[in-house]
Amino acid sequence: MNQQVQRLAQGGRIDRSRPLGFTFNGQTYQGYHGDTLASALLANGVDIVNRSFKYSRPRGIVAAGAEEPNAVVQLGASEAAQVPNVRATQQALYDGLVARSTNGWPSVQKDLMGLVGKVGGKFMPPGFYYKTFMAPASMWMTYEKYIRKSAGLGRSPAEADPDIYDHLNRHCEVLVIGAGPAGLAAALAAARSGVRVILADEQEEMGGSLLDSRESLDGKPAAEWAAEVLDELSGLANVTLLPRTTANGYHDHNFVTLHERRTEHLADSAPRTAQGARQSRARMHRVRAGQVILATGAHERPLVYAGNDVPGNLVAGAVSTYIRRYGVVPGNKLVLSVSNDYAYRAALDWHDAGREVVAIVDAREAPDGDLVGAARERGIRVITGSAVIEAKGANRVSAARVAKIDIDGFRVAGPAETLACDCVASSGGYSPVIHLASHTGARPTWNDDILGFVPTLVDGVLASGAAHGIYALGEVLADGVAVGSRAAAATRGEAAEIALPACQAISESPACALYQVPHEKPTLRAPKQFVDLQNDVTAAAIELATREGFESIEHVKRYTAMGFGTDQGKLGNINGMAIAARCLERTIPEVGTTVFRPNYTPVTFGAIVGRHCGALFDPERYTALHQWHVENGAEFEDVGQWKRPWYYPRKQGGKQESMHEAVARECRAVREGVGILDASTLGKIDIQGPDAREFLARIYTNKWEKLAVGKCRYGLMCKDDGMVTDDGVTSCLADNHFVMTTTTGGAAAILEWLELWHQTEWPELDVTFTSVTDHWATMTVTGPKSRALLAELTDDIDLDRDSFKFMDWREGTVAGVPARVFRISFTGELTFEINVQAHYAMHVWKALFEHGKKYDLTPYGTETMHVLRAEKGFIIVGQDTDGSVTPEDLGMQWCVGYDKPFSWIGKRALTRSDTARSDRKQLVGLRPKDPKVVLEEGAQIVFDPNHAIPMPMVGHVTSSYYSPTLDSGFALAVVKGGQQRMGESVYLPMADGSVHEAEITSTIFIDPKGERQHV
Amino acid sequence: MSDSALSRVNLFDSRADHASVAVESPLAYSLQRSGAPAPSAASRVVLREQAFLGHLILRGGAIVLDEALREVLDTGLPGRPNTLSWDASGERSIQWLSPDEWLLIVPGGEAFAVERRLRERLADASFAIVDVSGGQTLLTLEGEAVPELLMKSVVYDVDPSHFAVGKGVNTVFAKATAIVRRSGETRWELVVRRSFADYCYRWLLDAGEEYAIGVER
Repeated sequence: MNQQVQRLAQGGRIDRSRPLGFTFNGQTYQGYHGDTLASALLANGVDIVNRSFKYSRPRGIVAAGAEEPNAVVQLGASEAAQVPNVRATQQALYDGLVARSTNGWPSVQKDLMGLVGKVGGKFMPPGFYYKTFMAPASMWMTYEKYIRKSAGLGRSPAEADPDIYDHLNRHCEVLVIGAGPAGLAAALAAARSGVRVILADEQEEMGGSLLDSRESLDGKPAAEWAAEVLDELSGLANVTLLPRTTANGYHDHNFVTLHERRTEHLADSAPRTAQGARQSRARMHRVRAGQVILATGAHERPLVYAGNDVPGNLVAGAVSTYIRRYGVVPGNKLVLSVSNDYAYRAALDWHDAGREVVAIVDAREAPDGDLVGAARERGIRVITGSAVIEAKGANRVSAARVAKIDIDGFRVAGPAETLACDCVASSGGYSPVIHLASHTGARPTWNDDILGFVPTLVDGVLASGAAHGIYALGEVLADGVAVGSRAAAATRGEAAEIALPACQAISESPACALYQVPHEKPTLRAPKQFVDLQNDVTAAAIELATREGFESIEHVKRYTAMGFGTDQGKLGNINGMAIAARCLERTIPEVGTTVFRPNYTPVTFGAIVGRHCGALFDPERYTALHQWHVENGAEFEDVGQWKRPWYYPRKQGGKQESMHEAVARECRAVREGVGILDASTLGKIDIQGPDAREFLARIYTNKWEKLAVGKCRYGLMCKDDGMVTDDGVTSCLADNHFVMTTTTGGAAAILEWLELWHQTEWPELDVTFTSVTDHWATMTVTGPKSRALLAELTDDIDLDRDSFKFMDWREGTVAGVPARVFRISFTGELTFEINVQAHYAMHVWKALFEHGKKYDLTPYGTETMHVLRAEKGFIIVGQDTDGSVTPEDLGMQWCVGYDKPFSWIGKRALTRSDTARSDRKQLVGLRPKDPKVVLEEGAQIVFDPNHAIPMPMVGHVTSSYYSPTLDSGFALAVVKGGQQRMGESVYLPMADGSVHEAEITSTIFIDPKGERQHV
Repeated sequence: MSDSALSRVNLFDSRADHASVAVESPLAYSLQRSGAPAPSAASRVVLREQAFLGHLILRGGAIVLDEALREVLDTGLPGRPNTLSWDASGERSIQWLSPDEWLLIVPGGEAFAVERRLRERLADASFAIVDVSGGQTLLTLEGEAVPELLMKSVVYDVDPSHFAVGKGVNTVFAKATAIVRRSGETRWELVVRRSFADYCYRWLLDAGEEYAIGVER
């Protein structure tokens, strides 16, 4: 095919000496370095870039920036590199780029879908989704498949992303968003004041409108001034320039997320650095700024006229951008339809490029500004009081129908003239880019002078230039300096002198308010006049929505899907509001605007995730013995962020034990021999101070006044609602010194809980809390043979049963390491919990195994621990309790100090009528009638299995295991009034229709008198 | 005082100081499993674990603690929040953690003796000292790219122009927490908890690849 037929021989900011090959929809093309994908497609005369969402109409490139609704492509040469929803207007061209239409099934060029689309269009009036869902819902599944296939806006890759991404936290005094004239001037003013400045701009090149301006500064092209400013800024240590970086989200407290595309202009996948290191493809800058300056410019509004979606319809400013910045003329014969002076420059640029301007059609009766004069001087035909009422053509504009219009009467006021052309450019004025300001929740304000919404600004945000409706270049620059200085001063910058470049003022005649152009036929019958090109929302759809009673613009938006696309209706929303206002006979400010939300443009998931993925997704906390567990084949369980050994399957005869087999073996080892558990993850809090004991008595339900030095006690902790929140053993190390253990998952929260009560309620208590969880490693040696084993490793601790009793602790050395040893038991067996400084844990653990060989010392994991403790009826907070269980529900009245002098936390709540009633769910044991049955945890319990459904549910299973000691399944459960129902049967109807029967028993299944742990 | 005051807490030397006892730093497993890229001329960040130092948490009133420290260590508390001070040798540091909480780091083996002398000196004052030496480790990061590496990791403002030498904060590090301190122009320190050390180390290696991070052993 012809090479770059629409490319000018000279001009633009592209490098014609650096040709780049690329592929679009399977065709290969050539562009130049400096092109966007859009400018390169236009240069190659590619008219159709997509099929539309709903009607499958051919669509071409409309705009030149983030607001582009049609040229949304799927990028990537390989499956893994697929990126959906890339705006071709923002994608820099690189050699080897491969892109496809996101919505072109089966092909954008062929009109096969046209028929389907037309049928689909009938199926899909506004409100389609709502109407379809309402009746018959079952059909949705059928429609959905086809709708999705034809309407998709890109697809996600089916392979893992080979790239890496990261986040960078940044802080600055002044963040300037947008590096056009306002942003550059503001950044310069702020930078010279000495404060830290970040200047972010989403385009390939900073400079914004200066890069395609017809105006001069200090007698030189405006782009040269931009280059000078950027040169100065890049030399300042207090300035960070972030090109290719979109400010996508403006969050509370001047926290702004910037999305930097670091290598997307180079290749599909990030190339390695010169040193061979990987680099992130995209980076999220999480900026906390003192002041934020929005210098985001304005988006031009296209006019809404019939056939305005045929390829070859563009917004006027985009025409200028393509000609002046990229050396591409998007057509040969131009008709320009405008409501304002500034848009005339499209015709001037077109004329300068040596192509034919058929006519400028101006809706105003008597425009007379400088640009209008310039057009007339060139002999360009200017038709006033008129507009393009319809563009003709199928795959490309072939003509424009132009007629006199009566704006106030919303009617065509004269006969239409047909002008042959291949491009219709339009401008209905400019809308400040208020999206980021809207993210703060502030509703924008309508400004009649500029016919647009201007941002309402919360504290710490300033707007500059076109972003708040200042358009003339000289005024924009002055505003930029003023706003930049103000922002710097607010963050203690020094005032700096800025000499503004000389700028010729241009006189402009006032613009007129024109959004939808009338047609000879009423809107509902006229050829389609598109408002939102991405979502195929027409003026007729909005009119229909208002007729169907949708008056709030938010409802109209949802009913028609206007602004729901990935472009968030950047081009169409204001026009849509204007049409709704016309139909409702209200003003635009009365109708109001919808809310823009983050993100401004689509962000690749990788940049959101950053480094928090794969092996770094979440912290994995390891004990000091982790390596041993790994090397000895442990399966791990996540407990909070900890990796705890779950069980240790052995290989026997080349076959690995099942979990069931391993747990049974580990249980038997503890009950009959000796086992060892790494209990280091339990929370440990060192408590010191003369009031430590008093504090414990207030925070725990039970008594602490008499706990002697050298003794340990189990404690139960409630929230102030009387519900159990934690438990654990606290030991008295000395009169003013205790160490509390907490559940593994609760450690951090309990430390906070203690601090909260100390700092806010009882500051008079002299006590401190310090986490020592990581300092101590804890090894639980348990089983009848544990004493014999430990005796081999210590010579300074008297292990005699009468001098070192159950619930005592002693200090001494174990395997040559200073240790605190606690006789506390979570298994019901004789147990020694050995605590040593974590640095020595591996040494002690290995020594235990060395000496433990002859006792067949067996490591066990959390699963065995659960079985063993459940056999003894020991609860696990968070498993057998769920925040709605009192100590009394657990049958643990023995652990409640009802007569303690201070009203400990939760005491009052236990006397509420609800907590005192007798039919609360209470913890009981369950023995299935069939010992082979292991009940399902969470299974619901009923008293009468023959009751009609829905059966009254009276409780559920909280813990359930097979016990090798009992050779039976057994469970803990909560049952209404269960403590008064010992020996009764309950029933557990299962999902498969079967019903298990179980007997309510004591929660203690083994050794009810606790003799085994007292030996 | 003072034997009675000492007896009201359990003063316990948890350090095993003889060659027969193997000792493992919090990074021991990580260095083995994740490796330790050797520092090179291209390394813009060099990491080193300063293992087995004595870490003591001091709680109490600033005035009494300051006096006791001056007597025992010849150096006082840092004067302002979020700062730290060093003794003349630079081997002992005291960092402000919260209004009544400081972190004292001393050479390995000194912690118990320092704790005992401070306790003797503080006697019946209202205070607490807790040995956490086994529970955390100190990592030094040296090189010109350290601030940017930290920007990838912590939300706190670590711009060298806003984070002077001698500043130290306890902050979020990736999805864990760490103490971040600046001990020299291009020298920074992290204090990480033992159980999070492997995660932090892997994070630093990954985030530091761009700066050819090296690990001194």
